[in-house]
Amino acid sequence: MAGATRTRLVREDTSGADAVAALAVGVASVLFGLGLAAMFEVVGLTGTLAGVPTLPLLGGLLLVQGVAVVVFGVGSRFGAVETNPRPDAGIVAAVAFTLIWLVVGGLVASQVLGLGLAGWLLGAILTGAAGFAATVLPREDVGSTLPAGVVTALVGLVFLSGYIAPTSVWDLGWEQKASLTAEFMVPVVTVFCALLTGWAAAKAYGGFGARGRRVGAYLLVYLNAAAIVGVLFALVAFTVFKGVPGLFRGLTFGPGVGPESTVALFGASVTFSWPVYLPFAMNGVGLLNDLNGVLPAIVGTFWLVVGAVLFAVPLGVGAAIFLTEYAERGRFTQVVEVATNGLWSTPSIVFGLFGFAFLIPRFGNGKSLLAGMLTLGFMLLPLVVITSREAMLSVPDEYRDASAALGVTKWQTIRSVVLPAALPGVVTGTILGVGRIAGETAPILLTMAGGVFVPGSQTADVIGGFQFTAAPPFVSNPELLQATSALPYQLYALITAGVGASGNVGNPDQFRWATALILLLVVLSFYAVGIVTRYYFRRKLDYE
Amino acid sequence: MSETKQNPRKDTTQPLQTTSGESEEKLRSEWTEYEFDGRTKLAVEDLDVYYGDDHALKSVSMDIPEQSVTALIGPSGCGKSTFLRCLNRMNDRINSARVDGSVAFDGKEIYQDGVDLVELRKRVGMVFQSPNPFPKSIRANISYGPRKHGDIDTSLLAKVFGRSDEDAEERLVERSLRQAALWEEVSDRLDDNALGLSGGQQQRLCIARALATDPEVLLMDEPASALDPIATAKIEELIHDLAEDYTVVIVTHNMQQAARISDQTAVFLTGGELAEYGDTDQVFEDPQSQRVDDYISGKFG
Ligand SMILES: Nc1ncnc2c1ncn2[C@@H]1O[C@H](COP(=O)(O)OP(=O)(O)O)[C@@H](O)[C@H]1O
Ligand SMILES: [Mg+2]
Repeated sequence: MAGATRTRLVREDTSGADAVAALAVGVASVLFGLGLAAMFEVVGLTGTLAGVPTLPLLGGLLLVQGVAVVVFGVGSRFGAVETNPRPDAGIVAAVAFTLIWLVVGGLVASQVLGLGLAGWLLGAILTGAAGFAATVLPREDVGSTLPAGVVTALVGLVFLSGYIAPTSVWDLGWEQKASLTAEFMVPVVTVFCALLTGWAAAKAYGGFGARGRRVGAYLLVYLNAAAIVGVLFALVAFTVFKGVPGLFRGLTFGPGVGPESTVALFGASVTFSWPVYLPFAMNGVGLLNDLNGVLPAIVGTFWLVVGAVLFAVPLGVGAAIFLTEYAERGRFTQVVEVATNGLWSTPSIVFGLFGFAFLIPRFGNGKSLLAGMLTLGFMLLPLVVITSREAMLSVPDEYRDASAALGVTKWQTIRSVVLPAALPGVVTGTILGVGRIAGETAPILLTMAGGVFVPGSQTADVIGGFQFTAAPPFVSNPELLQATSALPYQLYALITAGVGASGNVGNPDQFRWATALILLLVVLSFYAVGIVTRYYFRRKLDYE
Repeated sequence: MSETKQNPRKDTTQPLQTTSGESEEKLRSEWTEYEFDGRTKLAVEDLDVYYGDDHALKSVSMDIPEQSVTALIGPSGCGKSTFLRCLNRMNDRINSARVDGSVAFDGKEIYQDGVDLVELRKRVGMVFQSPNPFPKSIRANISYGPRKHGDIDTSLLAKVFGRSDEDAEERLVERSLRQAALWEEVSDRLDDNALGLSGGQQQRLCIARALATDPEVLLMDEPASALDPIATAKIEELIHDLAEDYTVVIVTHNMQQAARISDQTAVFLTGGELAEYGDTDQVFEDPQSQRVDDYISGKFG
């Protein structure tokens, strides 16, 4: 073909065919969402949806969808719809459809017709070849709709026909007793078919050709993004729904209902009662408690993270400054880089063991909050070094040159130009690290945790624990040298070890989920602090 | 300028293109021996610069008079920026660069041990080719240098003890911005991020920032290369005014600009040699070297 292809510059009219294709895209998105919802049991397969039983509803939608896509493709082939297809659907589509049809043929031959190995193979190869041919031989409009539409319509028929029940189970006949349930397979197949026909319908909507491929790719990317966001949201929502009852059990408001707190400053002390009473977050575990709670673990996790950050951030940023600004690029910096990356990938239990063997004998020979802080600090350190270094390297050299040309010393330049520009990156790295260390169980188990369910009286009072002494080291803090608990450790003990299930925490399941929710909230609030800090540093334009 | 002046030396039998050769060496030293009124601010002698094995600047000697504008012109890659960076030792920051020769600032050798680079760069300021303001407020950009030098103290402690120099800072910011012809445009948004300014404004901000540290010499590397004609005109006028107090050395690829603003012009040619140095009028109207003549009249570049 000599001339370049021309398509309409402006698509001003929405034809009926466009509307059909758009509708098909919409149905595909709905099916995708329904499939995901069924997978996470938000929608039950046995139940009904808008008055219709779920499984036949899914089947019907799939059938309509498949047929619509095929009709559109064939209609385009015979000139009923104006499109700009390429001569074929492309190699990627061909391979994908061949694989899909291989599976379909194999399944039908072995499961429905009950053929043996030879028949199963033959069926699979035959249908695979048919799928390949149907994709490659006809023009793009048929090649990308027909194989997708027919598979989807077939699946829809199977769902509709009642051939599989919502409670079906397929035994795979493996040694491990693996089996597939309809509860799992139906949503998976639905999501898959929705993607397949959604892609075909989007291509059709774009009129095939370059524009069609672009629209098809958009659809896949958007559905993928939506699915990821949806799954994350579902995860958080799940934890919240499960955790809220346990968390808010026994919540009361009113003057003086809460526990008493004493604030002591320079000898003077004030005692007051909290106007809210949230037993789960304000109590420890005790025989006399009306409702048990996890206050010691919350406070333990809080101090743990604060201590680790206070230890790791100054050291890590200092190391990063040395590596980026002072050390010659060369063998030494390379070795350090490899070593820090390796340390960050080191399993946490190794750090835990180090703390157990090295730190504990040096801090009072018992598990302690301080040992836990330092162990987690060591874990956090490599990440802080890596991200700070990355952030400092990305500060343009022009700033350093400009500063040097003004007659400003290197250290002043680092302090006033490089560090402020790198701070948002440092904060981001620290946030990531905090998310990891706050959830660590193994190092805590080895270095910090005492009893599993500790009474409220054992809550670490780090600030109040500082004591000033006349003799060196002039300040001591027994609270830091006490064993305490932390949220992930407590969760682990409750679930795996079954400790505490004996009724002293009331309803263990509620207790568990509420603990998980609190842990999530604690990490999220650290995250929020990080975001605010980062925002502050981005906005601040004047540093000393 | 485009008229081809008959150069007495044009007819010499020695080909001028050879880079070695005794007679050319002699001729060049004659051309670059330029007498001017006033004091020498920077005396450059036999300056060679190497980037690794690449000989970027070859035995350059020239005296730069104080309180004047000296333009450096020449085709790109001929070593103008390299030469400029030698004058405040910014080449020290390039790992592969090696400098040989001597530069005297007010008679003091700057290529010797014991030179305080920080102090040197305070006195010899620099404006770069592409604007590079800090990601700070306009005010903080201007007062950055003086604050770091300790000339202005607005720290918390200074405020607590009532010796904060906020007024001095205000005056300095206004003076520098006025000098750089930027005050009118930014006086009402001194606390905004400098990166929000346009390219021309950013460049003038960089000039103001360099002026705020009160240097004696100002080096400018194609300061107007990315600017529109109006901003360029403003900067040219500014350079002209600056020459009353400062010694300005400016690199430009624009010959008209060099002719307009400079008192003396140095022409570098490809290979890193200084081909001619003299009074601007004389260099442009009666170049001594045929190659310079060709370059100025646009026969090669
Ligand atoms: N940082 C550097 N590293 C290596 N070579 C350089 C560097 N800067 C400049 N050069 C080389 O030195 C020569 C002169 O460059 P430069 O001084 O930038 O020329 P001009 O400013 O006149 O265009 C060029 O050949 C260039 O490739
Ligand atoms: Mg240059």
